[in-house]
Amino acid sequence: MQRPALRARLAGAAPYAVVLAGAAYLYVNAGSFAALARPGELGPQFWPRAVLGLLMLVCGGAIVRAMILPPIAQAPFGAGSPSEDEDSARVEPAAHPYRLLGGVVLSAAYVAGMERLGFFLATALYLGLFMWLGRYRRPGVIVSASLIGSLAFVFVFMKIVYVSLPLGVAPFQAVSLAILALLGIR
Amino acid sequence: MFDVLHQLSLGFLHLLVPANAAALVVGLIVGMLVAVLPGLTLVMGVVLALPFTYGMGVTPAIVLLTAMYLSGTYGGAFTSILFRIPGEPLDVPLLWDGYAMARAGKPALALGWTLLAALWGGLLTAVSAVALAVPFAKFALRFDAPEYFTIVLFGLSGVVALGQASMASALVSLCIGLLLATVGVDPTYGASRFTFGIPILMDGVEYLTVMVGAYGLGEVLTRMEQGFGSGPIHGDRRIETHLPGWSQIWKLRPTIGRSSLIGVLCGIVPGAGATVGSFVAYGTEAQYGRRREQLGSGIPEGIIAPQIASTATVGGHMVPLLALGIPGSGATAVILGAFLLHGVQPGPQIFATEADMVYTIFASMFAAVLGMCVLGYFAIRPLVRVLHLPEAVTSAFVALFCFVGAYSARNSITDLWMIVIFGVLGYLFEKFRFPIAPMVLGAILGPVAETSFMTSMIAYQNDWTIFLRRPISGTVVALTVIALAYPLVRAVRRRLRELARR
Repeated sequence: MQRPALRARLAGAAPYAVVLAGAAYLYVNAGSFAALARPGELGPQFWPRAVLGLLMLVCGGAIVRAMILPPIAQAPFGAGSPSEDEDSARVEPAAHPYRLLGGVVLSAAYVAGMERLGFFLATALYLGLFMWLGRYRRPGVIVSASLIGSLAFVFVFMKIVYVSLPLGVAPFQAVSLAILALLGIR
Repeated sequence: MFDVLHQLSLGFLHLLVPANAAALVVGLIVGMLVAVLPGLTLVMGVVLALPFTYGMGVTPAIVLLTAMYLSGTYGGAFTSILFRIPGEPLDVPLLWDGYAMARAGKPALALGWTLLAALWGGLLTAVSAVALAVPFAKFALRFDAPEYFTIVLFGLSGVVALGQASMASALVSLCIGLLLATVGVDPTYGASRFTFGIPILMDGVEYLTVMVGAYGLGEVLTRMEQGFGSGPIHGDRRIETHLPGWSQIWKLRPTIGRSSLIGVLCGIVPGAGATVGSFVAYGTEAQYGRRREQLGSGIPEGIIAPQIASTATVGGHMVPLLALGIPGSGATAVILGAFLLHGVQPGPQIFATEADMVYTIFASMFAAVLGMCVLGYFAIRPLVRVLHLPEAVTSAFVALFCFVGAYSARNSITDLWMIVIFGVLGYLFEKFRFPIAPMVLGAILGPVAETSFMTSMIAYQNDWTIFLRRPISGTVVALTVIALAYPLVRAVRRRLRELARR
C-alpha cells in the first residue's frame, strides 16, 4: 500500500479509534455501578453498557472499513443536482488553526474571568477581542459594538429577563454597579 | 371534527392576546433574519432564542419558536436566488433553478414562485398538523412503556438512517448523546454514573448546554477556523417579487402534488426534516417531472418543489412532538426543550390538559404562514441588509448569545464551561463529519428511552420478546429495522456499483 493512501486510511480511522478507546474505558468504569443491582435485576450499569457496546461495535466496524475497503466518494443526496453549482458550493476554505485555537482560549478565558471581572467588563473584552481575532480591523466599530453590545445584554437580561449576571469582585465590581445604576437596574 | 374547528377558532382568538401576537411577529422577523444569515443555521437561531422565552408563558414561547421555524424555511430563499448564498442547507436546491432564473433576468418572478410555494407548503403543513395531531394522540393513549421505548428507538434510528451523514458517524453521534444522558444519578436505581467525583455532574449534563454548545459555539469555531471567509455583501440587487399567473400555477399541479406529499411525509418521519424534504422533492422532480431534462436551467418546477417540501415538513414534525413528546428534528428538539423548561410534558394527554395552548400553537402556524409571506413580499429588503454586516461581528454576538443563554437556565458558571466543552466537541464533529443532530436528540431522548426500557424490563420480568409480541411495539420494531436496513442496502449497492466500475 502506498504511503499517502495508508495515511488517508489511518486519518479516516483515527476519530473512530479515539472514540473506541474512550468507550472501552467507560465500559470498564460502568462495571462499578453493578454493585447496586439486586439479583435478577439488570442494574444501573446495563443501559450505559448497552450503549457503549453498540458504540464500540460501530467504531470497530468503521475502523475495519476505513482500513480495508477503498474509500468511495459520497453520492450527493437527491438526483439531478447540477454538478457545476454543487462543486462550486463545496470549495474548501483556507484553514486558520491559530485563530481557532485563539477562539477556544478566548472563550475559556471569558468563562474563567467572568466571576472576577463581572459580566459587563468580561463581555466587552470578549466581544472586542473576538472581532479582532476574526480579522475585523476597524477599531472604532469594535470598541463601540463591544461596549454597546455588552450594555444591551446587561439591560435585556437583568432588567427584562431577570437573570442575575455576575458583578465581579472589587475593584471591577464598582464598574458593574456603576453600569447597573446607569441603566436604572436595582 | 367540529370540536377541532371550534378549538382552532378559540386558538385564533387566543392568538390575539398581545403576548402571543407579539411573539408571533418577533418570531417571524427573527426567523427570516436567521435564515438570511449564512453563518447562522435555523436550528442555531431557535436555540439562541430559547433563553428569551424563559420569562414568557409557555404559549408565547412556543409560538415564537414555531414562527421562527416556519419563516426560517422561507427566508433563506432570498439570498439563494439573489446572491447565490444558501442561508440554510435546505436552500441549496434553490441555487440550481432559482438562481438560474434570476440570472436569466427574472429574479422577481423567481421570488414570486418561492412565495407561492412557501404559502402553499405552509398552509398545507398547518392543515395537516391540525388534522393528524388528534388522531395521532388518541392512538398514542394505548401506549405503554414498551411502545414508548420502541417509538423512541424508531425516532432515533430515523435520525440516524435518514440523515445526510454516513450511518456509522451518525450512530457514533447518537451513542455519545445517549451516554451524555446517563451522566448523573440514574432514575431507576439511584446510582451515580460517570460523575468521576465531580459534584456538579451529579445533576447530569444539561441538554441545553449540549444543544447550544455543539450547534452554536461549535459552528462559530468552525467558521473562525475558516477565517470568516464569507465577508459582507457589496452591491445592491433590486429586490422585488412578481407573482406568476393562475394559468402558470395550474400547469404545475403535478409538481405541487408530489412535493406536498413528500413534505408532509418527511415531516412525520423522524429524522427526515426540511433539508431532506427539499432535496428529495427536487430529486423526485428530476426523475418524474414533465420537464425533468430542463431542470437546473431556471424553470419554476425546480423552485417550487424544494420550497413546498421544506415548508410542508414543519407541521409534520409538530405532530409527533405534540402527540408523543418525540422530536424528529433539531428545531423540534429545541421546541421540546422549551416545553420542558416551562414544566409542560408533550404527549397524548396534552390535548386534554392544555388544549388552549395546543390550538393556539396551531392557529399561530396559519397566521405565521400568512405573516411570513406578507413579510417576504413587503419587508424582505431591509432584512437582507443584515448580509452587509461583517461575519466576525455577527459571530461574536452569536457566541455571546450561546454563553448568556446557557447561563440564564441555572445561573451556573459550570454550564458556561460545558458550553466551551460542547463547543469544541461540536467543532470536532464538524471537522470529522459527524452529524450533531443525533447527539442532541440522544441527549434529550436518552432518559425517556432508558426509563421506558427499564420499566418494561421490570414490568415484564426481563422478557426481551415483549417488544416483539405486542402489536404496536412489534410493528414499530419492524419499521425501525426497515429504516436502518434501507440505507445499508443502498450503501452496499452503491459500493458494489463503484467496485464494478473500477
